[in-house]
Amino acid sequence: MDKLKLEILTPNGEIFNGEVVSVVLPGEEGEFGVLAHHASLSTLLEAGVIDIEKEDKTVESILINWGVVQVDEEKVIVLVEGAVAIRGDNESAIATALEDAKKLLSDIADSNPAIASVSAKIESAAQKLF
Amino acid sequence: MANLKDIQRQIGSVSNTQKTTRAMKLVSTAKLRRAEELAKRSRLYAVKMNQVIAEIAGRIKCNKVGGIDNRCFIDIENPKMVDIVFVTADKGLCGGFNIQTIKAVNKLLKEYKEKNVKVRLRGIGKKGIEFFKYNEVELFDFVSDLSSKPDKVRSDDFIQTSIEDYKDGKIDGLHVVYNGYKNMITQELHVNKVLPVDTEQFDCNEEQKSILEVEAQDEEHMLDSLVSKYVGYNMYYALIDSVAAEHSARMQAMDTATNNASDMVKSLNVKFNKARQAAITTELIEIISGVESMK
Repeated sequence: MDKLKLEILTPNGEIFNGEVVSVVLPGEEGEFGVLAHHASLSTLLEAGVIDIEKEDKTVESILINWGVVQVDEEKVIVLVEGAVAIRGDNESAIATALEDAKKLLSDIADSNPAIASVSAKIESAAQKLF
Repeated sequence: MANLKDIQRQIGSVSNTQKTTRAMKLVSTAKLRRAEELAKRSRLYAVKMNQVIAEIAGRIKCNKVGGIDNRCFIDIENPKMVDIVFVTADKGLCGGFNIQTIKAVNKLLKEYKEKNVKVRLRGIGKKGIEFFKYNEVELFDFVSDLSSKPDKVRSDDFIQTSIEDYKDGKIDGLHVVYNGYKNMITQELHVNKVLPVDTEQFDCNEEQKSILEVEAQDEEHMLDSLVSKYVGYNMYYALIDSVAAEHSARMQAMDTATNNASDMVKSLNVKFNKARQAAITTELIEIISGVESMK
């Protein structure tokens, strides 16, 4: 399977950089998935969860509050304002990440109906990890 | 010959100054480490953000995206009014750090004056504001405590005026002038043309890899919100880069001052020893000649 290069950057540094199989992004117009050789596209992202499918079939979730994505044939660059990766080696690390994610969500000022569904998605992502 | 007491007093005062400058250097070194770390982490994001914007701008310029007519991406001929935002430090004692920025702003002001373009000067940082006030250059507005404590919300608030005015057509350009951090011993002056997005580097003859697709209904909205973020982040990055540069400049200036002070103490010590020797010699001569005359 072809792979694409994914970079996720926040003002505080790089949160993800590597080769992935596919990535699902929360676009303003709705969620969309990107595989290798996707047509060029630039669009805004809203608060939501980025699902990354890695080479070893594991899925990693990253919560973001705002972003812009630039897709071209071989790479995807995502610039986000705030992001929390929901990952960790043990339960306590995952729990901390979850706390951070919830904090980021509550920080998103305008009350957005989408946020409730995002919260649900984080919970389900966490369930898979535990 | 200078009085022995006077020289001693001088030595005392110079070494006191040296203590102060050494302490300031240490403080700056500690602060620099933190500021540098912050700037480093943000640099990648700033660079990528500029890349994404430049690419979009380039494609718009080369007419690869039909029908986009966003002010932020089109070079405006015959601008009437431009904004210049400068960032200086709130404090002095950092060598040529502030004056370099001020000189660059003055140069820019002169250039625009020759072209008969009106300039709105917006200032961040006490030192620059004081300079322009003293020289009776009109400032459109200013904030004086933002450059020592960069804050994203406040910097966004500040730059928002320029973005809005640009979109409304009140101004036709936006420059950000600041002194940025290059490495521990050098600062680099940045005169960034933020709006309209610089597309000069783009060569339309070059084969573009692909065309850009933007979601149809919201391209204006997307570009607008992207440009706001881009300008806002550029402003914030200018602030944190400037803080790092300020501390490195101060560290260097204070290091030089400490070295100068120790050189001065050394030469004063030599002077003191000479004076003391001279005094002893005179005394001896007086005694000897007194004894001689008694014979």
